[in-house]
Order: sequence, then C-alpha cells, then structure tokens
Amino acid sequence: MGKKRRGHPDVEDILGRPWCYYCERDFEDLKLLISHQKAKHFKCDRCGRRLNTAGGLSVHLNQVHKENLSQVENALPNRQGLEVEIFGMEGIPAEILDQHRNRIIQNFYQAQEDRRVATGNPLPGQASNNSRKKVKVETTDTLKQRLEEFRAQRKNGGSIAPAEAAPPAASPASFTPQPQYDQHSAQPAYPQAPPAASYGYPASALPARPSANLPAAPGLPQRPTQGGNWNSPGAAPGAASGDDIDQLIRMAEAGIKPPQKGEAGDDDKKGKKDKDKKSRMMYDDAEISPEERMAALPRYVFAPEIAA
Amino acid sequence: MAPATQYELSPPPGDAVSSISFAPTSGTKLLVSSWDKKVYCYDIAGGAGETNLINTYEHQAPVLDVCFGADDNEAFTAGMDWAVNKWASCIYTRPQVHGTNEIAQDRFGKRREDSSKQAFCAAILVSASWDCSLNLHNLKDPSSAPIRVALPGKPHALASSPTKVVVAMTGRVINIYDLDTIAELFVSGSTDLKPWQQRESSLRYLTRAVACMPNDAGYATSSIEGRVAVEWFEDTAESQARKYAFKCHRQAAADGDGDIVYPVNALAFHPVHGTFASGGGDGTAALWDAEAKRRLKQYQKFPNSVAALAFSSDGKYLAVGVCPGFETGQEDYNGEGQTSVLIRELGDNEAKGKGAK
Repeated sequence: MGKKRRGHPDVEDILGRPWCYYCERDFEDLKLLISHQKAKHFKCDRCGRRLNTAGGLSVHLNQVHKENLSQVENALPNRQGLEVEIFGMEGIPAEILDQHRNRIIQNFYQAQEDRRVATGNPLPGQASNNSRKKVKVETTDTLKQRLEEFRAQRKNGGSIAPAEAAPPAASPASFTPQPQYDQHSAQPAYPQAPPAASYGYPASALPARPSANLPAAPGLPQRPTQGGNWNSPGAAPGAASGDDIDQLIRMAEAGIKPPQKGEAGDDDKKGKKDKDKKSRMMYDDAEISPEERMAALPRYVFAPEIAA
Repeated sequence: MAPATQYELSPPPGDAVSSISFAPTSGTKLLVSSWDKKVYCYDIAGGAGETNLINTYEHQAPVLDVCFGADDNEAFTAGMDWAVNKWASCIYTRPQVHGTNEIAQDRFGKRREDSSKQAFCAAILVSASWDCSLNLHNLKDPSSAPIRVALPGKPHALASSPTKVVVAMTGRVINIYDLDTIAELFVSGSTDLKPWQQRESSLRYLTRAVACMPNDAGYATSSIEGRVAVEWFEDTAESQARKYAFKCHRQAAADGDGDIVYPVNALAFHPVHGTFASGGGDGTAALWDAEAKRRLKQYQKFPNSVAALAFSSDGKYLAVGVCPGFETGQEDYNGEGQTSVLIRELGDNEAKGKGAK
C-alpha cells in the first residue's frame, strides 16, 4: 500500500476528509462532521436536544428523562458501543483509523482500476511503466538461466519458497515419468524439500520438477504420477505449487500470460463471501405458520368435546 | 419534557401474545389477545406503575386475534375454538357466537381457526381461517349467517384499509378484496366474491404479517425471512413500479458466518404519520418511512421476540407484545412468565417521516 500511494495526491485528499466513526460517512470539513454527529448520533430522541458526545447524551437521558442509553443511534452494527468517547475525529481508536484508511485506499484503487478497465486509459502517472498490465513472458534462455540458479541453490541445500521457485526449464516433452514419484505421492507432504539424495541420483542430474514436493502442498492431494498425459492441456490444474509451475511452463511455452498469482485466492474469497451470505433462518417453514405449529402443541390444542 | 417513555403493562398476559389492538377513539384502551385463552383489556391512562388491567375475557381456546368494532365498547376475537366472538362493552357479557363452521378440515385435523379479522364502519367483519376460507359477517344483521368464500390458499395474515381487505396466503398469493363489493354481497344475497386483485407476493417466503396504509394507498407485508415489502393498491405501471422490499430484523451470527434471519412478526402503520413499525423475532422493533424508504428509528432490543405491534388511534403510543419466538423444530413452547406488553410513548416527531415535512 505504501508504494501505491506514491504520486496520487487525490487519494490523499480523500484520506484527509474528516469522517464519522459511527457511520463511516465522510465530510467536507470538521464542522460538518460535528454537526452530523450531533444530529444523527447524539440527538436525544425524547426532546431533540443535540449533545456533543455519546457520553453527554447518556447523562442527559439519565438525568432529564430517567432513561438509559444503551447504544448510539444510526450507527453501524459494530460501532454502537458507548465505550469510546467520540467528538468529531477525536477518540477514534487507532486500529479503526487504520481500517478506515485501508478501506479508503482499497476502494480508491478499486474505483481507479474499474475506471481504467472501463475506459482503457492508463492510470495517471503510470502511463508507461505499468507493470500490472504487462504480460510477463520469459524467453527460453531466461528460463534456463533461472533453472541453473535454482539448481545451484538446491545443491546448496537451500529451500526455496514455492512462490519464488523458478519454474524448472526442462521442457515437458523431455520429461519421462519417474517411478520415484510414486514413492512421493504415497507420502504425506514434505515439510521441506527432500534432500536431493533421496532421489537416488545427484540433484543436478534430475531433469525436472524438483519443486513438486515443496512445502506448499501440505493437506493438498499429492500430485499423482500422471504418465505421459501430464503435459496435455486438459490435465487438471492442481492446487499444489508444483502444478502451478507446470502450468506456468506450459503457459510460457504457449506464450500465454501467466495466471495472476492470487486469482485462485480471489476465487476462494469470493466463494467464502457467497457462503457468508448464506443466512440461517430462525423459522423456515414455507407452508405452515408458527401459529399453526403452536396450535398443534398439546399445550394449546383445542378439544371441541370439552368446549361443547 | 416527556415522562418515562417505556413501561410494561401489569399484570402481563399469562402466555404468548397473539395480537394487540387499540380502541378506535379512546387512545388509551387496548386489547391484548393471548395464547392463554384470554383477552386482556388494559387502560394505560394511569401511566406507568399503575395496574392497567381492566378486565379479562376467558375463551375456550387460545385467542389468535382481536380487534375493536364500531366503538370502544365492541370488540371481536378470533381463536382456535372455530369461532369469532363478539364482546359487547368491556363489562363481561356472554359472547355472541358469530360463525361456527365445523365443515373445515385443515392439516391439523378437524379444526377451524381464525387467523385474523377486522371490523369496519361499513359494519363488515371479515375473518379468515386456516381451512382456506374467508368469512364475511354482516354486523348490521347479526342473526344472518356469514358468507363463506373459498380462498386459493391458506391465509396467514389479513388487514384492512378503509376500502380494501388484503389477505396473504400460502403459495405467495395475495388477494385484495373491495369492501364495497362485499357490502353489495350482503344486499344481493349472492355468495360469489371475486377478488378485486390477485397478486403474487413480492416476498419469496411465507407471509407473516400484513398492514394497510391508513391513507388507503397501499400495504406492507412481511415474511418469515426477515424482509418487508411495500406495495401500492393502484394498478398502474408507475404505481406498481414503486413497490419495493427490504431486508431487516437480521443479526450477524455469533461465529461471524452469515446472518441469523428472524421472521418479521408484526407490522403496524402509524395512524397519523403513515409511517410503519415492524417487529421481528430478533426482539427489535423499528420505525420505517414507507415513502422515503428510510428507517426512522430502531428501538432497543426487547428481551424476547416481538409478536405484535399496535399504534394507538391518536398515534401517541406504540404497544409492543413481547414473548419468546417460535423457531423451526421447536417441540415445546411456553410463553408463561416471559410475556410482556410494553407501552412506548412516542415523541412528537418520533414517528414522523422525514419526507412528509
């Protein structure tokens, strides 16, 4: 987020606007915010008096109307509490300030991105070196070079985070299924990359896929030995990082832009959001009303014999 | 300025509240029907701390609805005893049984219940029953048998405006009947009543409550799935385009995963300002401005589910019936000791819509 803010005074403008802790609305200046808070959140619903703070309203209600204030009116569900003493922008807890700031920034860039997608215009200040849009295509040479680096690192026993692991460059066509992978697939995920020696030959001679068992896989299904068809485009893209790399290679070969990291994560998030929207109903009978259910209970049942 | 604003009626009903109704003129007299087979008559003129109960009226079965008749001394109740009863004056008199139809067969066996009913100046009492029928009682001629009209579904809620009756049924069917047509029926002796309009409910789930706007323009419905819809009677494209629905009476689940959705048990329009109140299983009541589509106020949580709401005829008081809510799969229910009726005195502009300035 730090680097994102660079060179965008307009987001600063937005961030500089005073906003209301209780309802997240932002205002032109502090005076407006305070008058908003007095009218919306600190107004006595008995006599209409506008108090300066929630605490003030509480005391007022208590003394004048003999009532107790339990929550702030018109506030967001998690901001109704009376514990925080808010006046204008004063008193907002630091983490809430941060949250608000992050949300503003996120929204701002989302809006900017949406605009960019809609208009096709480059962002102000990002006209030329826009790296987000750029398709990263690695040439065979660079790939090979990265593989060398990777191997050297492996040899030194360094473990590499899967995201950074260079895709092995050996072209899939040259890859012959290794029986050793059976052994791997039968094992639970390695917490760390296995020592190269376990392959039975020097790591440098290992043609490909050293990263297949890198730590990203715990809990995920192990990559099965896929024989000759693992190179086929129809092969299911696995979730394991090793498969991501396979895919990356294939994509690179085909000249396709590598899938954006985090896309899968986005999908997950979306799925979770959908699930979040699932709500539980306290009463969900589509035909029979609660009254009918109650009427059927022995406690309430009407016996006409007795009535007659 | 204003005195203590909210207090509990004493003594409270002995079991869950089914309905509350304020007297048409007095403004302080109200009836509360309860599952303990009684109807309670309170007068809140004494204010808080007083014994507000004037009388109770014993029934043979739980009472499901109550409403006042032409004046403060006439009331009608409907209950699980297959009968609509008339209670003349608030002195105990023998109930006049209005309609006893044992023909009905509903899914609980041979039982006839009323879900709701209304009385009008036109002296028509409409009652609906779970045996899928509507009974029209001619109050000008109490000896006459009520006209029975078959309904396309099981009615769950009924409400009236000055000229219309809205009946909400299962299968999202809403029938709107014209009161003048019903009055003509009594004259002609015909029993063939066609709905003035038949609509599909804007709410996907079972309708819980219906309330009509006091200005006769439309009505609001609520469902078991925390939602309220507002619609207009007028059958023009632009009027129909104005209808809307919104979510309410929900709570974020404690584990952070989704919402707990409560049924919206009660709706009541403010007789003066035309705003309306909704009460839900989450134990809250909220005031809404139907025109401006704004929430005016959300009241502090009540200890239990809100089962019934009523505004006094002058709009000064809001009565809230609070009792445990009935949930899916509940095997037993007992509202005893947990039921209360709260009276909230409204501030001058508390229920006034912002758009109505």
